[in-house]
Amino acid sequence: MIKLIKYEFIKKYRLIAITIIASITLNIYLITRSASGGIAFLSLFPMIMGVLFIVDIIKMYSDDLNKKSGYMLFMTPNSGYKIIVSKMITAVIEGLAILLLYFIFIIINGAYMTFQSGVEVNFNDIIYIVNNIISGSFGFNLAHIFVFMLTVLLFLISFLTTIYTAMTIRKSIFSETKFGGVLSFVIFLLLNWGISFVSSKLFNVLDPYYYTFDFSSQVTASELAHTFLPMNILSIVQIILLTLCSGYLLEKKINL
Amino acid sequence: MNKMNELLKIQHLSKYYYNKNALNDVNLSLEKGKIYGLLGPNGSGKTTLMKIIAGLHKQTSGEVLLNNRPLSYKTKANISYMPTENFFYDSFKVKDIVKFYSDMYEDFQVESAFNTLEKIKVDPEFSISKLSSGLVGKLKVALALSRNVELYMLDEPLNGVDVLSRDVIIDLITRSCGENKVIVVSTHLVSEIEKILDSLIFLKDGTIALAGDAEELRMSRCTSVEGIYKEVFGND
Amino acid sequence: MEFNNNIPIYIQVMEKIKQNIVSGKLKLGVKMPSSRDYSAQLGINFNTVARVYKEMELEEILFTKRGLGTFVTKSPERINRLRHEMAKKQINAFINGMQKIGFTKKDMIKFIEMEFNNQERNE
Repeated sequence: MIKLIKYEFIKKYRLIAITIIASITLNIYLITRSASGGIAFLSLFPMIMGVLFIVDIIKMYSDDLNKKSGYMLFMTPNSGYKIIVSKMITAVIEGLAILLLYFIFIIINGAYMTFQSGVEVNFNDIIYIVNNIISGSFGFNLAHIFVFMLTVLLFLISFLTTIYTAMTIRKSIFSETKFGGVLSFVIFLLLNWGISFVSSKLFNVLDPYYYTFDFSSQVTASELAHTFLPMNILSIVQIILLTLCSGYLLEKKINL
Repeated sequence: MNKMNELLKIQHLSKYYYNKNALNDVNLSLEKGKIYGLLGPNGSGKTTLMKIIAGLHKQTSGEVLLNNRPLSYKTKANISYMPTENFFYDSFKVKDIVKFYSDMYEDFQVESAFNTLEKIKVDPEFSISKLSSGLVGKLKVALALSRNVELYMLDEPLNGVDVLSRDVIIDLITRSCGENKVIVVSTHLVSEIEKILDSLIFLKDGTIALAGDAEELRMSRCTSVEGIYKEVFGND
Repeated sequence: MEFNNNIPIYIQVMEKIKQNIVSGKLKLGVKMPSSRDYSAQLGINFNTVARVYKEMELEEILFTKRGLGTFVTKSPERINRLRHEMAKKQINAFINGMQKIGFTKKDMIKFIEMEFNNQERNE
């Protein structure tokens, strides 16, 4: 598994290097150009990287399914399940890395702009703010942040799994059809629609029995977790079922 | 045939696409220690057959047994397939590809691979994107034969390769065969390679038109394998 | 060695080995290369060489010692017999061929003498 993930990153090595260098260059350019350049960069970065990330995720699987270079991977003695999971793990690591890069830019740009504006920054002030976040005096604490991020992460992974499963279905059943990309997208939409349909039916059934909290006043982290629980369970179930489905198709039905 | 000697057994193998019939009820048994020639024109199903055995395509019906076990991702560890196309990651250098093989396949013989690369004059430092098609052809064969498995399948190993290098490749193939191994070579260039073939399988429109021992067929038909090829396929 | 793909390869290899033995190129009792080496040398299939050795063993021209390899027979008498067998085949082919173009026995012998004299004169 680790070897598979290693090679996924080796294949992207050039892309990663170019992205980092380009971001740094763009950042320096914007910062030196105007006082609010740092902010401009920090707002551009997520949008651009978000798009690039999704394109890269799709390409990572699509290249192996559709190009001849996919033979390199598919001739190795790895099960379809292992292959798809390795790509998902790669996607998560890549996403987290981009997030980390973003935080680094925030800190660097934040520090630079504060420094430029001449405001005296007391290190104690920073500690004070962080402490307040942790203790919850802003209305939320680290636990809230954690629950929120977990929910977002599960949602994104389930989204990714749906994309991959649509592509796998297309390559197994409709391997000889033209316009594969379009077909994959159509299958993706159908899949999403199907999942929303089933889940909304399920939620309607569950709703009277499920206690929700009053959000007009402060909510504790555990109450937050409770509210998000159905959604998270759905995400997890989706991830598991779709991964099994893709893995099975890769093992038994794929035609490269 | 002796059950102990049989490496690959194919029964009633068929492969249909909705617009064509690639393979139709193919039955084959491959014996250890032999080099098989899989012969037939383009579109006869040779590549489809090899890809199904290699696990890159799935059959519509029928079964394939390797050492009496059905195909799975595990049997890929015992099969070395060389596709006709250039399938390498083109951002990689030759030595990176070798490293990939050595990482992914436990049986891969790295030293032997580098020795062969030297013999066929492929520089490990070269990037795949910069290799000519002739060099890619030699590289593919070298890597496929540097694995230590029981079944080797080479799809058109002489294609796009210059005359001198073809001799090198044929020599490589001869040296790779062994008592427990099976090598299947598919080719159009019959006359150059027929000396090394033990058994022949003629595939026509997805079915086996003729199969048998090369020498016996030479004697019974009083002609070379190329001659038999022309007889089997010539009248279309 | 050049091969004619129209005739079974193993038969051609056998002929070549027999020629070498009868002409003295391969001496009595000499060790033959291993099947693997010989097949690589000739550029043919390993099984073909194995078959050649087996057939020639049945004809008692070669013999195998387990673990040591395959050798040319040590019997000069067998070699003589082989020379006769080969000569007989050539002669019979010649006679048949010449009969087909209308030569009688007397004509054939006269013609052979004539051709040999021609060859000697041209040297």
